[in-house]
Amino acid sequence: MTVTTSPIYLLDVQNGEAVVAELWDSITERQLADWEAEWLPELFKAIQRLHRAGVERRLWPQSRHWNWRQKVKALQGMLAHPGFCVVCEGVTQGMMIVDTTTKRCRIDRQKGQHLVYVEFIENAPWNRPEMVTPPRYRGIGSILIRAAIALSQEEEFKGRIGLHSLPQANGFYANTCAMTDLGVDPEYEGLRYFEMTPEQAEAFIAKGSLS
Amino acid sequence: MKIEITKEWCLRMAQREADAEIGAGLFALDPVFDGETSSVIETEEEPSIAFGRFVHLMRRQRGLTLEKLAEDTDVEIVELVEIEDDARHKPKLRTVYQLANYFRVPQTKLQQIAGLTVPRDSRLQEEAVRFAARSETVAALTPEENAALEAFIAVLSEQK
Repeated sequence: MTVTTSPIYLLDVQNGEAVVAELWDSITERQLADWEAEWLPELFKAIQRLHRAGVERRLWPQSRHWNWRQKVKALQGMLAHPGFCVVCEGVTQGMMIVDTTTKRCRIDRQKGQHLVYVEFIENAPWNRPEMVTPPRYRGIGSILIRAAIALSQEEEFKGRIGLHSLPQANGFYANTCAMTDLGVDPEYEGLRYFEMTPEQAEAFIAKGSLS
Repeated sequence: MKIEITKEWCLRMAQREADAEIGAGLFALDPVFDGETSSVIETEEEPSIAFGRFVHLMRRQRGLTLEKLAEDTDVEIVELVEIEDDARHKPKLRTVYQLANYFRVPQTKLQQIAGLTVPRDSRLQEEAVRFAARSETVAALTPEENAALEAFIAVLSEQK
């Protein structure tokens, strides 16, 4: 498998400094090994802490049961389901799988048009504020969304993307990404569906370019 | 696929992203823990009387018309009318964000009051019910309404 890497930077929350990282346009065996050896032990420790603190189960991380090996296995080899990940200091910091063929736009003025649908996106447990205080790195979500937009542009979908947000992440897609909130989707386990127009994609990219 | 992203872009967006959660994707492709998603859906359907009252009283306290509030917050006037008049109306996330900024209260707590997120803070829920019970939606703010509003703002603004 050929993997193309792009240089990126993350923000180290502890010291407020930039750290060199890489955006990969694939999810490889190395990411799955990181998920098993690095992510899962941290996730279990975080859930133990929440459990001991008496936090209700419904407030625990909503993606904790995700099995990235199963997801990648199910979609492996399908060109229509490319993956992306962020690697920093030799460890996978975030992963995303997208679908470029089966979903269509829902916003009225672009209804029925092609888009890049984000099937799954997740941060490493140590980058998640509900599990670790303070989290280690910031910026992974924005970089992965930027990658989905870039893929959409390459596919000539003009930056249109869509996704169903986990409830704890609604604020990120509504505010930081400024995507259109199409409300709770009863067909998708009551998750909110967000969609980005070409204009919103441009605005998202411009947001990080403005001082 | 090579993607050109500058260092400045990465860092500015990291600042904007702050401590936001970023997870997206369905639960169903993997085993789901019993009864967990349903609690989220139930919350979506609960009326949010306190949220509508809060917006209504904050607007009146400032002597604003609905048109002026819509203009100041860049929120559709139709949505403001629904928020104030219909406790079952679910506001858009962006609207809650704009109102929280305008009224200078934490957006995460206002989202909870608006029924957009699962309640994390039972005391806030109790205070919201108490606030809704104390406030009436009549013309001018009475001293009691004013006191109830101020007390609720204090709870909303508490650092936890």
